[in-house]
Amino acid sequence: MTPQIHEYKKINKSIIFFILFTTIVFTACSNATSDKKENGTTVASVDTTTKQVSSVTEAKGVVSIKEILANYLQMKNAFAKDNAKDAANAGNDMVKSFANFNKAALTADQVKIYNDIQDDAKEHAEHIGMNAGKIEHQREHFDMLSKDIYQLVKAFGGEQKLYYDHCPMYNDGKGANWLSESKDISNPYLGKKMSTCGTVKEELQ
Amino acid sequence: MKGIKILLLILFVIFIAVQFVQPARNSNGQVLQTDITKLYAVSSNVQGILKTACYDCHSNNTNYPWYSDIQPGAWLMASHINEGKAMLNFSKFGDLSIRKQQSKLMGIINQIKDDEMPIASYTLIHKNAKLSESDKQVVINWASALKDSLSINN
Repeated sequence: MTPQIHEYKKINKSIIFFILFTTIVFTACSNATSDKKENGTTVASVDTTTKQVSSVTEAKGVVSIKEILANYLQMKNAFAKDNAKDAANAGNDMVKSFANFNKAALTADQVKIYNDIQDDAKEHAEHIGMNAGKIEHQREHFDMLSKDIYQLVKAFGGEQKLYYDHCPMYNDGKGANWLSESKDISNPYLGKKMSTCGTVKEELQ
Repeated sequence: MKGIKILLLILFVIFIAVQFVQPARNSNGQVLQTDITKLYAVSSNVQGILKTACYDCHSNNTNYPWYSDIQPGAWLMASHINEGKAMLNFSKFGDLSIRKQQSKLMGIINQIKDDEMPIASYTLIHKNAKLSESDKQVVINWASALKDSLSINN
């Protein structure tokens, strides 16, 4: 190797380093802005879907939380089996169901109730969707989500028989509740290790 | 040898250049009317803990350390603060619905109980932000009591 070529290679190397370094710096600082952009686009797409849905169902004017409830029950059953991944999927589905919900059939008062619950519940669903690796963290959000869904059912009807169950042990003995489609207890907070722990608190028609 | 020198020089120039690209500072110096301490009773003990251990990332007023002006650390810090505020912002607590306030309080209790917050990468540098067992209990008790009072009133 002639000294000239050797020198050339060295410079070449430093150019590669330079490019690497600048890419790292630029990706690091552009991350924040790209996140925002993504958020912006999801919001936009959500808007269009709700518009489509509302224009289709306006004639019917049926208030139905069926989809949201189905996602919730799916999530509950996943937690009862200690399946964090299925619970996360149900969480992500629920975020979509909230976006697709037809608000056109609601009265002004109902819109207020719905928005209040949805604003909170969607955030819990998102967190459950994002934390497939942390089932205990998901369950903390499930506890709060259960209260929201219970009130949603109370306000808009569940279109099926439901049981409001109580687990006295969760939350360091403070207890927690959940909704179930079956009378048999299958505890989503404690999972398989204490599957049958809990009582039916209320039956919802 | 020459290549290394050039490389170091380039890196140095970049290092100097990025110092001029500073992210916006998260500190407006005033306590908003929507701040949690303006809305609810927060004992000075709890306030002290919140300010040292939480407010840097969960409020509109970060207490910046001296090295926060040095890049690329300042970008990293700015992105952490944005993330933190998106989840919970004590300065804007009053903008949340009562339902959400209760959720956030429950979140605070759980995160502290699970030792998820204050986050380890933060307490590594901010040693005084590390909560003792009694500090944790103080915050948890305060948050539970406040949460219960909100659910009774609504």
